[in-house]
Amino acid sequence: MVMGEKIRNWLDVRIGLNELIRTQLAEYRVPKNINVFNALGTIAFVGYLIQAISGMFLMIYYIPHSDHAFKSVQDIMTIAPYGWLFRQMHVIGSNLLIAAVILHMVTIFLMGNYKRPRELTWISGALMLLLTFTFGLSGYLLPWTQLSYWATTIVTSIPTAFPVVGEYISRLFRGGDYVSGITLTRFFALHVSILPPLFLILMAVHVALIRRIGLSATPFGKSDEEKRPLTEFRKKTHPDGYPYYPYLVQKQALMVIVYFMVMFAFITFAPTFFFPEATTVPADPFRTPETIRPEWYFLAPYQMLKLIPNKFLGISMLIVVAFLFVFWPFLDTQKEKNIFRRPVLRWVFISLMIGWVILMWWGKR
Amino acid sequence: MRRRGFLKALLTFFGTVSLASFAYPLVRFFAPPSSSAVNEKVVLAKQEIPIGGSKVIVFNDKPAIVINVPGKGLIALSKVCTHLGCLVEYDKDKNRLVCPCHAGTYDLQGNVISGPPPKSLPKIPLRVDGEQIIIG
Repeated sequence: MVMGEKIRNWLDVRIGLNELIRTQLAEYRVPKNINVFNALGTIAFVGYLIQAISGMFLMIYYIPHSDHAFKSVQDIMTIAPYGWLFRQMHVIGSNLLIAAVILHMVTIFLMGNYKRPRELTWISGALMLLLTFTFGLSGYLLPWTQLSYWATTIVTSIPTAFPVVGEYISRLFRGGDYVSGITLTRFFALHVSILPPLFLILMAVHVALIRRIGLSATPFGKSDEEKRPLTEFRKKTHPDGYPYYPYLVQKQALMVIVYFMVMFAFITFAPTFFFPEATTVPADPFRTPETIRPEWYFLAPYQMLKLIPNKFLGISMLIVVAFLFVFWPFLDTQKEKNIFRRPVLRWVFISLMIGWVILMWWGKR
Repeated sequence: MRRRGFLKALLTFFGTVSLASFAYPLVRFFAPPSSSAVNEKVVLAKQEIPIGGSKVIVFNDKPAIVINVPGKGLIALSKVCTHLGCLVEYDKDKNRLVCPCHAGTYDLQGNVISGPPPKSLPKIPLRVDGEQIIIG
């Protein structure tokens, strides 16, 4: 008996490995019309894994102190062997991850998979996206560059739009009146020790809900059963579907390869794409750079804040948009999942996308 | 009340009180220490700021600017934009202060001309004593 088989047998008699593999991979059936977009959740999962591992590597050299943070990041890029690789993977990975999660949410939206009984799955996913943005924001300050310093100044000023508690919340984030070394320590703690467990809990809930409720069939070209009255729990199964392994696993593997290809294409051919000039200058609390732009995923809200003449109104609108996004399944109560049969929703979606792109382009100018 | 019900109520009460007793220490723990620099004075030599010129200073731990406005004299303003906290820059040619972050503009008295800032830049008291400018 070869060693691998011996280990497998050892595990089988203790934890029932063979049964676990059979029930969770081979006998677990997925709908026949499932497509590569259903693998975007796996992409997001792999993306988070890359962030966690590369982040751990960076922590070995990074010093979370305002006197040393910038230098330590420069050292990671120039002195630490292959430090540039792991930093690039972390920075480019964070951008790709956000793109993948947004794409995942968009496809879920288009396929109507947020509808009952999957409202909680959508909410947990939406909260994970908001946490991912928070990861991005908290990580942004850590290199202590001009861009990170002033972007954090702007973000931590946002609560001041609200009377009574606004100033307190702003000071809570900053640890004082303005962004300083105390803010850096707080953001570091947030980035590496507060957000990860929160995120893992949400991810566990999200995956557990997907497995508990069952995968939804793609609604295009085929009617789905979710129009039935929802009076009792019934797990969605696909007895006539394909086995999860190898059918969907292959699609997921393909998408993961594409994800890595895009990441390494950036690292190889456009290594400075996500590093504008202000990210190479150490933070100067007494000079705001002449051109300061947030990351691409914050350009639209940035431009919105610029256009709306009232600070309270602008920030309140952003909060309302986030609230609508998270609780959307409770606002769209129509049973029809196929967006091609929902002209109003289709036009709302197209208008929102066009508006988002215009605001992004305008903000970038 | 039965014994089980009484114990349940007691457990709920003490559980709630125990958890609530952490609220105040937590709020205090996260509350940042208040700034130590208040009502400080900054002294500049008058010749440091010619007419039309300006000087950036640190007042009460925050950046401020002293401008010698042609025809109107000296004025000291906070440099912190009232919109989202970026630092305004003095545009000498256009006689205004501009925030590079969200394009808020102020006149040289600190009043909002355009853009999203909700209020004027705070003025800092200033007096001229002989050849000295005393700010604060």
